[in-house]
Amino acid sequence: MAQNINPHYASSSNPAKQNEDTIKLKDNHAVSKRLQKELMELMRCADKGISAFPESENLFKWIGTINGPHDTVYAGHKYKLSLEFPNSYPYAPPVVKFLTPCFHPNVDTCGLICLDILKDKWTALYDVRTVLLSIQSLLGEPNTQSPLNQQASYLWPNQAAYKKYLDEFYNKHKDS
Amino acid sequence: MSKKEDLEVYWNKINYAFPILNGTLYSDCTNEEYEEIQEMIVSLGIQIRIRDLILIHIEKYLRQHVVPSFWSKFIKSDVEVKGFQLFKTAVSDLYESVTNFSGILHKLTLLNNSCSDNMPIFGEKDVLLGFKQLLRATLLAQLPLEFQYIIYFFYKVSFNVFDNEYENSDMGDDVMCSGCWNDYSDCNCAYIVKVFHDTNRKLMELQLLERLAGQVLTNFIQMRIESHIQKLCTGTFDVSHIAFLENWLDTTVMSWLTRIYCAGSSKPPPDDKNVQNAISKFKQKLSYYLYHSYTKLRIDQLFNIIIEYPDSQPAVDDIKLCLDKTDLRPTLCKNLQTALETRLLHPGVNTSEILTAYVSTIRTLRHLDPSGVILETVTKPVRNYLRNREDTVRSVVSSLTEDGAGSELAEELAKFAGEGDDENDKEDLWDEWNPDPVDADPKVNSGDRKASDIISMLVNVYGSKELFVNEYRTLLADRLLAQSVINTEKEIRYLELLKLRFGESQLHFCEVMLKDVSDSKRINALIHQDNNFEASNDKITCNGMILSAQFWPPFKDESLELPVIIKQLLENYTKSFEALKGNRTLSWIPHLGNVNIEIEIGVKKLELTVSPFNATLIMHFQDKPEWSLDELHQVMKVPVTILRRKITYWQSMGLITEKSTDYFVLVDGSDANKSNVSTNQVQEMICEDEEAESVMASAHDQREGELQVFWSYIVGMLTNLDSLPLDRIHQMLKMFASQAPGTECSLQELRQFLDTKVRTHQLVLQGGMYKLPKT
Repeated sequence: MAQNINPHYASSSNPAKQNEDTIKLKDNHAVSKRLQKELMELMRCADKGISAFPESENLFKWIGTINGPHDTVYAGHKYKLSLEFPNSYPYAPPVVKFLTPCFHPNVDTCGLICLDILKDKWTALYDVRTVLLSIQSLLGEPNTQSPLNQQASYLWPNQAAYKKYLDEFYNKHKDS
Repeated sequence: MSKKEDLEVYWNKINYAFPILNGTLYSDCTNEEYEEIQEMIVSLGIQIRIRDLILIHIEKYLRQHVVPSFWSKFIKSDVEVKGFQLFKTAVSDLYESVTNFSGILHKLTLLNNSCSDNMPIFGEKDVLLGFKQLLRATLLAQLPLEFQYIIYFFYKVSFNVFDNEYENSDMGDDVMCSGCWNDYSDCNCAYIVKVFHDTNRKLMELQLLERLAGQVLTNFIQMRIESHIQKLCTGTFDVSHIAFLENWLDTTVMSWLTRIYCAGSSKPPPDDKNVQNAISKFKQKLSYYLYHSYTKLRIDQLFNIIIEYPDSQPAVDDIKLCLDKTDLRPTLCKNLQTALETRLLHPGVNTSEILTAYVSTIRTLRHLDPSGVILETVTKPVRNYLRNREDTVRSVVSSLTEDGAGSELAEELAKFAGEGDDENDKEDLWDEWNPDPVDADPKVNSGDRKASDIISMLVNVYGSKELFVNEYRTLLADRLLAQSVINTEKEIRYLELLKLRFGESQLHFCEVMLKDVSDSKRINALIHQDNNFEASNDKITCNGMILSAQFWPPFKDESLELPVIIKQLLENYTKSFEALKGNRTLSWIPHLGNVNIEIEIGVKKLELTVSPFNATLIMHFQDKPEWSLDELHQVMKVPVTILRRKITYWQSMGLITEKSTDYFVLVDGSDANKSNVSTNQVQEMICEDEEAESVMASAHDQREGELQVFWSYIVGMLTNLDSLPLDRIHQMLKMFASQAPGTECSLQELRQFLDTKVRTHQLVLQGGMYKLPKT
């Protein structure tokens, strides 16, 4: 847990209030730099099936794209996600949501994702690439123990039926 | 006596004194008689009326008799001598009839004196002057259209003789007199000269010389000046002519003029202000004309002068001097610009030649116009043109670092190093400051204009030092790799010189490259001392060139599978190297370098230095004399097209023949002997051809590589954001990809890049938005 605390905040826990703003600003710069570096890395490696890019001039809001993993029911599907980075990134996880509606046991109707590394298991060692890869693999290997979408969780063991429903769902919603 | 009779007597008397009233000039009236008559007139009080009446009659007479008879002799004629005679007669007749007026004029003067009304006569106070004025007015009022022909002939003939008499004395061998084109026996030069001077004197007296003959005279003298300049100055730029010409004008031409104006005497009469004025005015006109035509001639030749600079420096000095006296600056700029454009800036001229001319132009115009304004204006098209040539940078760099003929730039570079900084001296020259010429571009600092030297002007063609440094790096890499024995000392010297100009940091890479070369030598020596390595191969010596990949320009990507023995050898070398330098290894670039091979075929022995590619090719034939292209492709892993091209080398050497299509056979010993000698020359040619090819990726390829980095960003962008317009992509790249290697990418460049991607179907352009194609 200790590594999830920004050492900056930890060391200067009781400074005068006015100092906090400047620290934030300086921090902001460090975060930008880190995000820029991540972007460069992501562009350089160009993994198959995942991609992300800042939505506009704002470096703290990205759009990501995930292709459904090959040998799963999600194969051939393409999902857009939004990634929002807090100012305390990478000490706090980014907020990740599905933009394309996704029928999945661990994704709710608003696109919120239940994934441990985006919550309590987050460490500063993760980055955009690993987050996207994790979500990609989550598609094929849902955690049916703590479902957000009961229907999906219920349907999951019957893969054929699940696939049929999923394809219908995807085709209906993919352009929204 | 009746009053009427009185009147008649008076009138007869007046008519007697002034026969002009009856239309004749001759009167027998003596001075005493006239005095009486005048007294009579004065006593009658009609002197003013009589005077005016007489003046009217004089004018009428001139108009009806004198002037028409003068002009009637101006007949257009093709024969020069006839024209000469006609003019002479006309002038002397005119002069005579004017002289006939003298009696009347004398009386009229007396009459006028008695008038005391101070009325000016034709604008003049004096009767005589008024008469001349009247004569001129009447003459010119009836000026025929073609009057100049005859005058032209007159002066042409006269000038011929005149010239002959005062200028040349060594024409004696001719049978013809070069003056009047007659045989010497009946040469009438003397007569012509006499008539000439006589006529001039008469015209001068009538004050008609300038009006009638002035134009012709000026034309004549200008023609003479022009032809003299042409004769004197064509083709020679290494002598200054201006002093000589000034002297010529002062002596020869002015003596003509004086003689014409002063009827043959070579000195103007000291008391006659009129003549002196006329002559000095004429001289001013002529000397301006002299400068003008000389400068014009030089401007027309300026391109050649520039090419021959600095041998043509005297000519440039002349132009410099004359430009101040004439207003030919704009003409100079325009003409030179056109000359440069038509003679230099077209595809038929080599870049190196354009550069030489450009350098010459810079030097010449620097000398001509230290402010640099002309230079700036004139060379603008040259700079624009050079920018569009692909090999400009390479040419500049190679001529910078080349010695021997034609490498003025190398000298210039060395000179720059020698000069050091004399900036401090400039402060002291404030009192010699001059404002910029009018045609200067006010936006440019005059100091900048003056300060930039030749090399920086060349570099500025592109506007960036980096491009030059990169090109130099590529060139250096080529040179280092091409030579088996490397003259590092020379390269280091050039590098030092370049450093002075471009700065240390820019050339750091090159320094590392040179260091690699010397390090390689040392490492080779060490490896050869290694017993393990030496033991493993005794047949072939191998020297590696160890390059620090980070610092060398990217190489062209080519594949080549080396023969097994060589691969083994290189592996051993690598092992030795790894033993020598812990934690480091070598990755070989098999297609670079040189191979010394010895070929024995029959009794024939050949020693050659070839590329690894060719060596590999021939080595395969050593094991098996017949190969098809496909088989070679299998073992060498080289595209068939390249193989086919490369194998021609050995075909031209007469070692390999193409038995059937794509099937090659080694020529056996006896055949080889026959065909070999004749092809020796071909081989050299082909060798050079190979050599000229650079192993480096060209600047264009490099740039393409840099843009490739952007491509992954663009793909990332479009995958996630679907579709974007050009300027958004550009903006995003600027924001997020600026840390990536590779410099700025202009909007224009990006558009071109994206367009190529659209053409190869990697992108879709739809309604101004770029998109990735659907998979």
